[in-house]
Order: sequence, then structure tokens, then C-alpha cells
Amino acid sequence: MMSFGENLGRRVIQMLTAFADTIVFAGKVFIRIFRRKTYSSAMREVLLNQIYFTSVQILPVFLMVSIIFGSLLIGIVFQLLKEFGLTGFFGHVLMGLIVTELSPLLTVLLITLRSAAAINTEMAVMKVNREIKTLEMFRIDVINYLLVPRVINGIISIVLLSSLCSIVLLVSGTLFSWLIFGMSIDVYKNILLNATNFSDILIALFKCAIYGFFITLIPIRFGLRASHEFTSIPIVVSQGMVNVFAAILIIEVLSLLTKLL
Amino acid sequence: MFDSEQALNQSLHQFLHDYPLQVAPVSVDVPLISNQDIYMNIALIKQYHEDMPKRQAQRLAVEYLERVDLGQIAYKRNPALNPEERFCGMLLRAAMVKDAMILIDQPFKIIPHLKDIQFVTTALKKIDDLYLSCHIYDYQWMKEKYGEL
Repeated sequence: MMSFGENLGRRVIQMLTAFADTIVFAGKVFIRIFRRKTYSSAMREVLLNQIYFTSVQILPVFLMVSIIFGSLLIGIVFQLLKEFGLTGFFGHVLMGLIVTELSPLLTVLLITLRSAAAINTEMAVMKVNREIKTLEMFRIDVINYLLVPRVINGIISIVLLSSLCSIVLLVSGTLFSWLIFGMSIDVYKNILLNATNFSDILIALFKCAIYGFFITLIPIRFGLRASHEFTSIPIVVSQGMVNVFAAILIIEVLSLLTKLL
Repeated sequence: MFDSEQALNQSLHQFLHDYPLQVAPVSVDVPLISNQDIYMNIALIKQYHEDMPKRQAQRLAVEYLERVDLGQIAYKRNPALNPEERFCGMLLRAAMVKDAMILIDQPFKIIPHLKDIQFVTTALKKIDDLYLSCHIYDYQWMKEKYGEL
């Protein structure tokens, strides 16, 4: 019984320490974002490449997923609203649930699967190949050169792609509102404008930025924990990805609590 | 020349400690970044430390590669290089450090099949205006390969 308690206590302490470490590390990276010195020519090049890899290369797949998944979702939700006689809540459901909640979540899940996993592996491979040591030997700050551009890219990409996803969903909404409710574009537009809450949109954008920050920071952090053996790569990648999904859940819960309060 | 691993490592660390801003290592333990082309590896130092614009730094890198007759490897990556090309890539990257004091750690570990040091000295001569000094660290039992150097 005693050893169970001790083990549990040790695990809790380890978890809290890891959480505190991540927050301290996040603070360090966050401060660097606002330092002018961080933005060297090399860093700017990495930033542009990262934005291209994360936001531009993914566009065809992202648009396709948004259109298919978003249209299906909108169709189902509108059908349910009609069946349960909740047509009056149409605008609030569309803006409050689909645009400000589901599109950031869909975006962050897609980017996590595609880019966060890639970043995690890239960092682990660089560590194993001693390329991180190379950068240090040439006095290249790893935070400035590798971390900050990826984190900024995460923030920009999630905010922009989530906005794009919202636009796709709203366009799908136009079609389904006409098909299911026989609603004209003007009526649809008025309902949306009446249901739009500026603070909700701000919270959604802020949430996207937080998502972007952590879904790039956590994989980097775990990737850099790799040892100098290739066998450590799958371990740190799986740990990193589990932690990213935990972070997504925590941020989602916190944003819901913010809305409730 | 050193007669033990401990002595060599100690001396390397001392050198790194004495010239922290100028030391420019060329070593198997300081590899090229594998997800960047060779010209980008070389340009990176100027871009980061001197904030040199990307195009200018990359043009300079290609120019220096051509100077050592390796213009054709500019757009290749580390795994695609042979040991000589890899060595020259590392050497040029080191030479990009401002007032570089190049530190070559066991050149025959980077190019194992070399019979003597001539290839290294020839490469160093071709870029002798790019660095302040060059220091080669190796073991005593490799002395034969260095000849009169």
C-alpha cells in the first residue's frame, strides 16, 4: 500500500515537474519571439520554409478534407436542427459551434498529424546525428534558429488555416441552408451576422494561436530529448505526440471554461 | 600530435575555451546539417552571424565551392557526398566564421582512405585568404601520414 502511494506520489511529482518545465521553456521561447536579435537572415529563411511546408504544401489536402468533412458536418447539423425544430438556433449553432469550435479543432488535428509529427522526428534525428551539437559548436543559438521559426510558423499556420476552414464551412452552409431550409443567401447572411459574437471570434483566434504555439513547441521539446542512439527516436516521437494531444485537450477544455465564465 | 585520446580531447577543449568566438571546427563529430544542401550549410554561418542576406550568402558559398573545384556539389546533401567532398564542405563552412581559426580534428577520420595530408593542405591553400589560422589535431601514431608538415 505504502509503495503504491509512493509510486503514485512520484508519478504526480514527475508530471508536475515536466509540466512546469514545459511552461518555463515556453516562456523562454515566447520571450525570444519579441527579440529583434532573433530575426537573423538564417532564421527568416527557416521561417519562410516552414510556413511553406506547413501552410502552403498542405493546402490541396486541407481544402479537400475541409470541404468533404465540413459539408457532411454542416449537412448533418442542419438536418438535425430541422428535425428537432431548432431552426431558430441555426445561426448560433453555425457560428458558436462549427466556426469557432470545430474548425480550429479540425485544423489543429490535421496540422498535428502532418507537421507536429514531422517536427518531432526532425528534431530527434538532428539530435541523434549530432547536428544540434554542430549548431552549438558554430555558436548558432538553437532556440533562435530552430525553435522560434517553427513556433511562429505554428501560430501563423493554425490561425490562417483555421480561418480558411471556417470560410469553407460557411460556404458549405450557404449550399445546405438552401437545400435543407430553402434559405436564400441574403437571409443566410443576415442570420450569420446577427449570430456573430465578436468576442467568440477573438477567443477562437487566440485559441488557434495557443494551439499553434504548443503543437510545435512540445514536439520540438520531446525531439530534443533524444539520446545519441537511433532507437531513442520512436520513443521521443511517441511521447511527444501523446503530449501534443494532451495539450490539445487541455487547451480545448480551458477555452470552453473561458466561454462558460 | 597527441599520444592519447584524453590528451587530444583535453587540448581540443582548451582550444575551444581559449578562442570561443573564432574557433571553426572541422570534425566527424561536427557533421553537416543533413536536411540542407551543401551551399546552404556554408551560407548559414554568414546568414546567422553577420545577418548577410540569403542570396548574397548563398552566392558566396557557391563561389567558394567553385574555388575548390566542387561547384557541382553545391545542391547535394551530406549523405550524397564522398569523404573528400564532405571534408571540403566542412572546411568551407568553418572558413565562413569571422577571423576563423580552423580546427581540423583528425582529418584521416573524415577521409579514411587518404594516404597522406596533401589533399588537406591543397584544399587549405586554395582558401587561405578566408581564415586566420589552421590547427590540425591528430594522434602521434598518424605522424607518418603528415610527412614534413
